[in-house]
Formats: sequence, C-alpha cells, structure tokens
Amino acid sequence: MTTTAPPPSSTSVPEPRKPLGRQLVTILTTTDHKLIGKLYLGTSFAWFLIAGLMAMLIRSELAFPGSQIVNDELYNQLFTMHGTIMLLLFATPLFFGFANVIMPLQIGSPDVAFPRLNMFSYWLFLFGGLIAGSGFLTPAGAADFGWFAYTPLSDAVRSPGVGGDLWIMGLWLAGLGTILGAVNFITTIICMRAPGMTMFRMPMFVWNTLITSLLVLIAFPVLAGALLSLEADRQFGAHVFDTAHGGAILWQHLFWFFGHPEVYIIALPFFGIVTEILPVFSRKPIFGYVGLVGATLGIAILSVAVWAHHMFVTGAVNLPFFSGMTFLIAVPTGVKFFNWIGTMWGGSISFDTPMLWSIGFLTTFLFGGLTGVILASPPLDFAISDSYFVVAHFHYVVFGTVVFAMFAGFYFWWPKMTGRMLDERLGKVHFWLLFVGFHTTFLVQHWLGVEGMPRRYADYLESDGWAGLNQISTIGAFLLGASTLPFLYNVYVSRRAPLVEVDDPWGWGRSLEWATSCPPPRHNFHSIPRIRSESPAFDLHHPEVAAIELDDNTAARDGRFADAPDMDGRDTLLKERLETETDAGEGDETR
Amino acid sequence: MLGLLGVALLVLSACGSDTELERLAMPKPVTVEGESTLELWQGAWIAALVTGVIVWGLIFYAIIKFRRRSDDEVPIQTRYNLPLEIFYTIFPIIMVIVFFSHTIRVQNIVLNDEDVVPDQTVYVVGQQWSWTFNYPEAVDGKNVYEAGDGAVNPIPTLVLPVGQTTRFELRSPDVIHDFGVPGFLIKMDVIPGQENYFQVTPKVEGTYAGKCYELCGVYHSRMLFNVDIVSPEEYEQYLQDQYDAGFFTDTPVCGGQYARTQVAKDDEDAVIEEACQ
Repeated sequence: MTTTAPPPSSTSVPEPRKPLGRQLVTILTTTDHKLIGKLYLGTSFAWFLIAGLMAMLIRSELAFPGSQIVNDELYNQLFTMHGTIMLLLFATPLFFGFANVIMPLQIGSPDVAFPRLNMFSYWLFLFGGLIAGSGFLTPAGAADFGWFAYTPLSDAVRSPGVGGDLWIMGLWLAGLGTILGAVNFITTIICMRAPGMTMFRMPMFVWNTLITSLLVLIAFPVLAGALLSLEADRQFGAHVFDTAHGGAILWQHLFWFFGHPEVYIIALPFFGIVTEILPVFSRKPIFGYVGLVGATLGIAILSVAVWAHHMFVTGAVNLPFFSGMTFLIAVPTGVKFFNWIGTMWGGSISFDTPMLWSIGFLTTFLFGGLTGVILASPPLDFAISDSYFVVAHFHYVVFGTVVFAMFAGFYFWWPKMTGRMLDERLGKVHFWLLFVGFHTTFLVQHWLGVEGMPRRYADYLESDGWAGLNQISTIGAFLLGASTLPFLYNVYVSRRAPLVEVDDPWGWGRSLEWATSCPPPRHNFHSIPRIRSESPAFDLHHPEVAAIELDDNTAARDGRFADAPDMDGRDTLLKERLETETDAGEGDETR
Repeated sequence: MLGLLGVALLVLSACGSDTELERLAMPKPVTVEGESTLELWQGAWIAALVTGVIVWGLIFYAIIKFRRRSDDEVPIQTRYNLPLEIFYTIFPIIMVIVFFSHTIRVQNIVLNDEDVVPDQTVYVVGQQWSWTFNYPEAVDGKNVYEAGDGAVNPIPTLVLPVGQTTRFELRSPDVIHDFGVPGFLIKMDVIPGQENYFQVTPKVEGTYAGKCYELCGVYHSRMLFNVDIVSPEEYEQYLQDQYDAGFFTDTPVCGGQYARTQVAKDDEDAVIEEACQ
C-alpha cells in the first residue's frame, strides 16, 4: 500500500496571496496545464457573456415589428458575431479548458506532452479572438455576412469592410491554436498515461477528448485553407470562390466539411463531462463502457460524412446519401442515451448541482436530437430550412450540450480546480432560472419557424403575426440572461468558502483526478494508486464496494466477453486492499 | 414494434389537417406537392414524439424511482446487459430505415421534374434586395415581367394560375438568395452561377406572403414578395395587363440595379448571363 500513501499536507495549506504583478508574471510565463486550462475556461466564459449580451440585443430588436434598438447593419453584425463567438471563441476553447484542467489528471500524467506549445495555443486563441472581435472598432463595423460567411456575399465587392478581413484572419489564427492544442492532447493521451492506464481503462472524458482532437485535425485545417483562400480572393484578387466556376457551392462544401464535424467537436467533450458525472451521483459504474466508446467513435466517423445536409436547399448535393448518413447518426446517439439511462437505472440518485445540470442536459438535448432527425429529411428540410425552426433546433442541441454540461462540469470540478466548493443552493437557483429561461426562449421558436419566420431577419411585418411568440421568446431570453447572475455571485462568494480537505468531496468519485488533492500539487500526484480498472480512485477509496461490483458483473470479472472496461488484475488488487484494511483494523478513512 | 412509423401513419390517416395544431404549425399547403410533405411532417412528428416520450419517461422514471433514500445506499452495480444493448442498437436502425424510405418516397413527389411536364415556366431572379418575375414568351412571344424595386415597387407580386404546374427557374446576378413561400412547403436557393429549379401545382386561390430565406446582405429582411394564385383567365389577363403597361422584353431580365439586363435561360446563353453578373 505504499503507493496509496496520502499526499503531504503542505499542499492544502493556503498560501499567502501573491501581489498582482507576481500573479501576472505567473500567468504570462506558466506552462502548467491546470493554469492554462483555467485561462481557457475564463477567457471562453468571458466570450460567452459578451455573445450572450449580443443575443439579448438581438432578442430585444425582435420583440416588436419595426426597428427599435439597432439598425439592419448592426443587427447583421450582431448575429454574425454572436454565432462566431459562441461556436469558435466560446464552445471550442471551453473544450480546451476542461480537457487541459482535467484530462492529464484523469490519465495520471504530470502535464500535457508539450507544455509550451500548450501555452502558445492559448495565446493564438486569445489574440485570434481579439482580432476577430475587434471588427466592432472599425468604421464599417464587424463582419456581417453570417458566421458561415457564404460567398459571394463575403467577397470584397459585397462586404468591403475591414471587419470581414479581421474576422477571417482572427479565426484563422485562433483555428491554428485549436489544431496545435489537438496535437498536444492526442500526444498526451497516447504517450503519457500512467502505468496501468490502458486505453480501455480511460475515463469517458479522456476518450471523448481523444476522439474530439482527432476530429479537430480533420476539420480545422480545411477551415484554415478555406479562410486563407477567401482572404486571397478579397485582398489579392484571386478567383477561388468566383461564381463563374461554382465558387458559391465550393465555399459551402469546404465550410460545412469543417462546420459539421465542428458541431461534434463542441458536443463530444460535453457528452464526456456528463458521462463522468452520472455514475458519481447514481453510485453506479457507467453502463456499457465499450459500447459507449464505440458510439462515440461512430458519431465521429459519421460526422465527417453528413456535411451536405446543411446544403439540401442548394440543389447541388446528393440528397439520399447525406440524408441517410444523417439519420444514421441518431443510432449511436440513441445508444449513448440508453447508456446514460442505464447508468442511472437501479442506482441511488442524488440531485447535487452537477447531477441536476446533467439531467437538464439529457432532457434538453433529447428534443434537439429529435428535431435534428426531422431536419435531416430533405422534403421536410425544404419546408423549414433557414427558418427559426433551425435556430431553435441548434440551440437545443448546442446550448443543451455545451452550456448545460459546462455548468455541470463547473459545479463538479470546481473543488478540484480551486479547492473550494460552489454553493449548492445558489447553484440550484441558477439551474432553474436558466432551465425555464432557455425553454421559454427557444421552444416557441420552433413554432415561429414552421409558420415561416426566416432566420437572420432584422425585422418582420405586423401582418406576419409573429409578434406574440417573439415576445415570449424575448422574455425568456432575459430570464436566461439573468440566470447568469447567481452563478457569478456564487463564484464570487466561493472564494471564502471553506477549503476542501479531502481528495474526493463528492464521496463516490471514480476516475483518477479524485485520488489527488484539491487542488492538485504542481505535478498533479505525489503518488499514483495502482490502476486496474476505469475507476482507480473508487477502487482506492471504496475497495469493499468495488469488490461487490466485481461480483455483480461476473463475466467481466472472469475476463469473459462483456461490455465492460479492462479489469485485469482488479480482483487481486481489491483483495489486497481489503486484507490490509482488516489487518490494520481500520475502516474506510474517506467515509 | 417494427412499424412505429407505420402506426404513426395510421394514426395520421385518422387525424386531419384543418387546424394549425393538427398540422403541427405547418401552414396549410397551397400546392398539390405540399400535401405529401405535410403528411410526412405529421408522421415524422408522431414518431419523434413517441420516441421522445418513451426516453423522457425512462429518464424521469429513473430519477424518481431510484432517488437516494438513505445516505449509505449501495445499489446493484450493473455494468452491462448484452441482449438489451443489442436491442437498443438494432431497433433505432430499423426506425431509421423506415423513416428513410418514407423520406425518399415524398422527396420523389416534391421534386418530380421528369414525370410532370410544366404548363409554364417562370424565371425568378433574386437580386439585392428584391425579386423579378419573368414570364417568357407570355404575350406575343415576348417576355413579360414584374420587377421589384426598393423605392417604386418594394414588394413585387408573383402571379400563378391555379391547377397548373409552374416551373420556377431560379437565377441570381449577385449573391445567394432563397426563394420561399411558406404555403408551398418547399424553398430553394437562388445561387449565382447555378441554375436551380423546382415546380409546384397550386390548388388554392389566394394571396400568400413570400420571403428571401438566405442571408443576402444588409436588407435581407426587406426582400419580400407576394404570390397571387388566380384562375387561368385572370392569369392571362394579368400577363396582358403587364404587356400593355410596357413591362415586356425579348428575354428574361434582372431587376434592381441590374434592371433590363438579360438572364441566361440555359447553358447556351452563357454570354448573356455574364452580362447579368
């Protein structure tokens, strides 16, 4: 049991607060994945707040027919930058934040494979984002051609403003950071797992980080090439996207070949977060581990073969192929749902904030998935394409995944990141405000869209009869916006919350990050427990329950064919631990 | 259980399409083709909602039934159930295949451009930020048109004869637009450099609002038009009136700042098309 000795207590003694200059130097020079991860999380959350304020301006404008708040030019800039920021400067780097903070801990690694490259990736993201957003400071304003920048609208003739150039080059720079970050994660996961951490003992979040990073390597270089070609068209008079030879459709193919995998790049890691949380608060191991890995891979593989479902109404794509492939994505996604439900089934479910957010994710994302299958049918897409139905659909999918799982992850890992818990009561107020606000905002938009309200409209006619539903949506949006206040207050007061003294404040943590202190020491572990399953921290803290688990799953215990992680040698490990405990006459010290 | 969609379609035949609720918010189809889309829409939603209610039901049943009752509970630690896992993988595949076959069937109806010969063709030109409707060889072998113009005629009208199949040829001289009328239950992009088309057979007379559905620049939301579906006699009269008012040319034209530039009708007219760009 030498490997499981508790870490020296020096790390849990609060250090005196460093002066601001020293903190700044630390931030500027750090290569610590945990700090870089926090920088990613903080920066992307700041973008989330900015783009959220833009959304409230958009919703305010739409509350009544006519122009009240912003003119048509600014309106187009607002929805363009709202989409751009939410997808590329919030959701994508948020994945890098969580993966940086958590993934090395979960595989028992002291850091990522290339710590300096890691910091460089962050700077590329930060400055790329600032460049893209700085368009608002130019005379012609920010980019206003929509976040998918369809040519020829985005060319130098139709969008001459420098805001468009800043948008293109800023996203290119940030995208380079994304590619380098993905290289870093893949190398880390392949090369730097602790002894005993075989691939099929990796937590689902690590699997999802790996698969997401592979998707980044497939998708983002295509975006980079398309963006640079567009900039060449704009600045150097190239004719890559000239309509005379089909440039309008070429851009759409390139953009969506990036754009659809991107949807899964921002979905899969957040599926991973929820998959980490459900077992802890259901007191059960994940149901169908290998099936879940397979479903994740299946989604990733299919995601690069469905891009043209964004292009059904262009009349330029093979409808049955892209429709069929898109339908098929429902299958592995359905498998994931049954894995999640199977994990909760028969468990002992508590409703701590991380679990509440995860259940919010399940119920919300499900509806987005159902409307997604409907949109994947070309005849139905012809009717509702480019309408508010689509807007409602992708907010259910993306907000339901990214935002719900982000807050789930924040409440779950806050003690691991900061050493202090967030307040549960404020967390529940936060959840219910956001949940009600979100559904009030977006549920009615399905109806608006089917009635024919086009997306990206700054205005609509009184005779269209859409004012009532738009007003409901706007009220919901303000409730949704207000829900952030209890969270910010929660973060503010948490700095005085008592320090977490134990490795695992939730009590039933399973993966390796719960086997080190909160927050972990500089290189993460003073010692790493023996890893003989996907739940090394659980095997360490609750060997008696883990032994029961082995007996409940005899096929997996005996190494026969079973949908379970690699548990070779687990029974020996658990027997040793239980005997040592009995010999020492001590109980489970973490209870 | 195989035909969840089959059951859905049975339920559907019992339910009508008269109220907005029965149509699940979809506008009443004003074309023959739109009826098939509406049926698919209703069937798909019934299947989706049945699936949704089952999965939501499982989630809520689980969180209520299996909520923690005491702090020291240790539930049974089930990790897998192979027969169940096979079932929940295979069953969605079957559902997807059923939905896919219905999709293809309806798609062939709404896009049937080979079986049904159109009675007339309208060249629809979308330009920043209005529409031009051309009726080639309508009166005296001349092209009759109505051009939308921001100042004079901000919301142009497209006139179609009821009961006849009209083919829309979609052309753009500048950026991508999208020609959509909610009641048609179909829309299509108007793309520069690409000749898109689809056809509809209106069945109900009336006036309907149409819009541009693809972001096309600053005044995207101002790019509106109306559709008048009228009797064939009124349609002929409308064409004659436009002709008498002087709105005619030899071949289809673009509107707006491209006014009176001619649009290519097919590939051989590529030279003319360049003029329009």
